[in-house]
Amino acid sequence: MAAIDALMKAALALPILVVPAKASAAEVGEVGITLLGYKERGLMKVTEPVLWGRAEFLDAWEVRASAAVDIITGASPQLVTNAGGKPVQSISGASINDRRNTGDVRLTRRFGDFSLSASRALSKEKDYHSKSFGLEARWDLNQRNTTLVAGYGASNDRVLSSDDASLHQRRDTREYLFGVTQLLSPTALVQSTLSVSRGRGWYNDPYKLTFTFFADGPPILMADRRPDHRDSYAWLTRYRRHFPEAHGTLQVDYRYYRDDWGIRAHTLEVAWQHALDERWAVRPAFRYYTQDAADFYSPTVPRPQPAILASDQRLGSWGGVSPSLRIIAKLEGGVTVEGTVGYVHNARNLHLGGSSSEAFETLRAVYGIVGISRPF
Amino acid sequence: MTLHRFTFRAMAADNEVQVHSGGARLAEAAAARAIAEVKRIEAKYSRYLPESVVSRINGAAGEGPVGIDRETHGLLVFAGACHEQSAGAFDATSGVLRRAWCFESARVPGEAELAPLLALIGWARVELTENTVRLPERGMELDFGGFGKEYAVDRAALALRESGAESALVNLAGDLAIIGAQPDGSPWRVGLRHPRRDAMLLATLPVTSGGVATSGDYERFIEVDGVRHCHILDPRTGQSVRSFQSVTVHAGSCLVAGSAATIAMLKGEEEGLAWLGMLGLSHLCVRADGELVDRFAAG
Repeated sequence: MAAIDALMKAALALPILVVPAKASAAEVGEVGITLLGYKERGLMKVTEPVLWGRAEFLDAWEVRASAAVDIITGASPQLVTNAGGKPVQSISGASINDRRNTGDVRLTRRFGDFSLSASRALSKEKDYHSKSFGLEARWDLNQRNTTLVAGYGASNDRVLSSDDASLHQRRDTREYLFGVTQLLSPTALVQSTLSVSRGRGWYNDPYKLTFTFFADGPPILMADRRPDHRDSYAWLTRYRRHFPEAHGTLQVDYRYYRDDWGIRAHTLEVAWQHALDERWAVRPAFRYYTQDAADFYSPTVPRPQPAILASDQRLGSWGGVSPSLRIIAKLEGGVTVEGTVGYVHNARNLHLGGSSSEAFETLRAVYGIVGISRPF
Repeated sequence: MTLHRFTFRAMAADNEVQVHSGGARLAEAAAARAIAEVKRIEAKYSRYLPESVVSRINGAAGEGPVGIDRETHGLLVFAGACHEQSAGAFDATSGVLRRAWCFESARVPGEAELAPLLALIGWARVELTENTVRLPERGMELDFGGFGKEYAVDRAALALRESGAESALVNLAGDLAIIGAQPDGSPWRVGLRHPRRDAMLLATLPVTSGGVATSGDYERFIEVDGVRHCHILDPRTGQSVRSFQSVTVHAGSCLVAGSAATIAMLKGEEEGLAWLGMLGLSHLCVRADGELVDRFAAG
């Protein structure tokens, strides 16, 4: 642990007013690498190495950049069919072996209590290209006890398909963000952010199909058809409170999401970051998620056949729990090593209130993240 | 908004509280609370008062453990952190050296005088638990001099903040804490006394929050054969340190600023500057030869 952290920590344990240390003047940047692994039982596996860095220069400037590669292998459910009686997901024979390259860069200029950022991000995989840029303004006021943020982002995407060479469609999204962070006391803060997104373009998933049999007629095979727009609101509120005597910080996040597809979702995450000693900390966390189905979700094709319909169970009504544990070690020279393991369990009976989607098939997955970072 | 100033005497010095307030009553109530807090801490930790916590702990040296409250425990944990981070240069048991060093008479103690006192110094020997502290040897002493005043500054600042003050300053003999910018948004201008020339300012520092503390060789010293021996004594040698004329540090609290300045003083010029650089705290130092090292950023 750095000397200043040790002194600040000992001072913070006393009942006095302590202004949190600013980013150390001697430290001008940080670099890190993170490795993420995700494995869904019987289905896909994702590996993602991320390299990131941050540097301050000329006093008022900061640049952040990251690059990542997602490697997805395994199989993805392609067809929902009731051929066997009730509708079930059927895994496509072809296995996926996809790779996504992404990179982003963000430049920030501070003007006293005001700062402006511009960012650019690119992402490319064989059937999806995305380019986006963003602008963000941040204003510290009330002696930095309050911070206001406003942001704008635009993303221009292209949807392709490895099965259909003629597919080449646009998807354009505009996003607006407003947020406020308020220091409630020397040990507590709350942050609330509203993001509004307006999307236009192609949302159909070219790999998903619904194949429905009827007792009294020919079966219908229907491609995934979704609206050509998606407008959403996401409201995220985070609360942090440090308890010096208990050596820990309570972290509570709540997110409400709704869109014009009819999806309403709530996420609640509660975590406790506990300092075991000057070097080690642990962070057990528990997340609960629940969502209502999109209006056009159905695992079977009704008659008469509607213009829009998707059987992708991610658009159904379901809920999920996810416990995780992170271990953080602060080593000499400011080097931080973190490891997280988590479990994901999504099921229809975890949906909160109302009826859940009967066809939702329970998903179990494990994930692990390891990261190391160091200042320079 | 009017600036209200209150001066008071405590810890053998002239001190001051300044509060920007819409009403004199509000300012007075806030200042009274802050001043009362300073006096409470002085009474609790003064080594001159026989009933103080420090006197009780020192009086029981070589005997059993003495019960302490959470506040005292917190301060001793802070003293321990300073000892550890300074590799032993900061030692809250080094007050015994005052028995040999008398700054009223111009005399430098010899090794024979210092040796038995050095044997009584050793933070590592202090037996500290959540509720008790014990000095294992008769004659050992704890001294809150290195951080008690700075702690009082921070506590007084908290008292002002809790009384509703949004722009205020506490100044205990040059160690200070600041709450918020002045009502017009400008920082407070903290004038630093020149370490060699009385009534002359060395610099004026813009500060809007946190604590500023100064450690210097000018507060108490003796000059013998043209050599200045200041009151900052190295607990490992018992000798007066050869170091900066003064070190001023700005940190998130006066307590942290004060300990950082004292440790820089104890480490000496080159190591002290490296230490302050490593902490990443704003600082302004005057080297022994009078050269100014200004690494102070507004904040």
